[in-house]
Amino acid sequence: MSSRGPRQVLGGLRVQEAMRRLVTRLPSTAPLSEACRTMIKYKVNAVLVTEGPQQPVGVVSKTDLMTAYYAGLPLGTTVAQIMVGPPRYCHPEDTLDAALDQMREYGIHRLYVTLSPGEPVCGVLAYPDIVGILYRFCLRCDRSLRRRGQQADRPAWAGQFSVREVMTPNIYVLPAEASLWEVMGGLATYKFGAVLLAAADGRPVGVVSKTDLILAYLHGLSPEVPARTIMSTPVLTCQQDEPLLDVIQRLIFLDLHRIFVFQDEPANLVGVLSLSDAARFRSGSCRACLASRISP
Amino acid sequence: MEETARDIMDRTFLTVRPDMTIGEAMQVFRQAAAVSGRPVFGLMVTDYREQLVGMLSMYDIFLLIRPKHIHIWGEMKDLDLSGIITHTCQKAGCMLVGDIMSTDLITMPPDTHLLYIIDIMLKKHVRRIPVVEAGRILGIVYISRVFDRLLETFQTMAD
Repeated sequence: MSSRGPRQVLGGLRVQEAMRRLVTRLPSTAPLSEACRTMIKYKVNAVLVTEGPQQPVGVVSKTDLMTAYYAGLPLGTTVAQIMVGPPRYCHPEDTLDAALDQMREYGIHRLYVTLSPGEPVCGVLAYPDIVGILYRFCLRCDRSLRRRGQQADRPAWAGQFSVREVMTPNIYVLPAEASLWEVMGGLATYKFGAVLLAAADGRPVGVVSKTDLILAYLHGLSPEVPARTIMSTPVLTCQQDEPLLDVIQRLIFLDLHRIFVFQDEPANLVGVLSLSDAARFRSGSCRACLASRISP
Repeated sequence: MEETARDIMDRTFLTVRPDMTIGEAMQVFRQAAAVSGRPVFGLMVTDYREQLVGMLSMYDIFLLIRPKHIHIWGEMKDLDLSGIITHTCQKAGCMLVGDIMSTDLITMPPDTHLLYIIDIMLKKHVRRIPVVEAGRILGIVYISRVFDRLLETFQTMAD
């Protein structure tokens, strides 16, 4: 890498360098129960719906399954009835920047990769895949403050991004006694991926994500049950001034997508950081990236 | 001459229920190995009426255990992995069999010929096929039993 560094942190990087080649698919006749199982087992947030010999016709996401649960659709309903289509595509040679722009423009979380629409799908690109690329960039960058920090002095760490700079500074909070109806309604309205549940005294007690909701759907739970019955505990938190890189590493290690962020004391939650936030930020872990990103 | 599923199937087998945890199912895997006398990498999932509703295989467990973002791990040279396997197994152990079982079932009647069984295993990439008649499970054919049958034939020819 040149001493000047790239003009863009993702500059020159192509979709094919970040995409996943294993694409999770279901036939359009598969029931929603199968879609729930597939997303849980393969740990994906969406599946590609195909017809005939692997012809892509749509996408079903966890959000779509949550909506089906909210609407009271039976688990035997086919994925064709709730899928959103057609899928959005990108080319393996497209730049990651262009792909991210497309994801932002259409408000979607993933692009399917194909040589041309109508050709077989050869990969999928989602936000967490881009986090991997950013990490690789950091490790190889000769301006990386993390590398300098490892080699010599702590002051170099001053340039590290903190969680606060990247997090979403809003949290969606509901009482632990709220019903799953309320949780689903709130997540859909405010477009959050998870809700924080609080006790009567305001203390955070658990989290309900879309994954928890589709498990409840699969288990046949009534949406009238209190959210606390399906919440995940304890609430994973980090301090807002922790280095971004360390917290992302913790998320990846613990196989989680988001972490709640506190200021001063753990009960004072001020935001949430997800791997998607980290990818949307489009920079590595230190200001060396930001300087190069905003230069002409 | 042993030529059909009826002849080579295991008639003694253990099953798991959809509402069992993965942790409980892993114990059944161990017990099933003792029952069949060889390692068992897949179990039939049955409901309370003993009807086949799914299959739980070693690969289903692997998929559940595999960290979601492991493709990024290679980028993190300073990741401390101590304790990660226990942590992952604890997390996976709480899931239910019904959450991850495969439900696109492939079964066969007891008179299915050995060569046809081989064809199904190759085409469908399965290593075990339940033998079902009139909705009742009679047994299960493991890929190892099929291969054992071929070994016997080759041995007979050599003799």
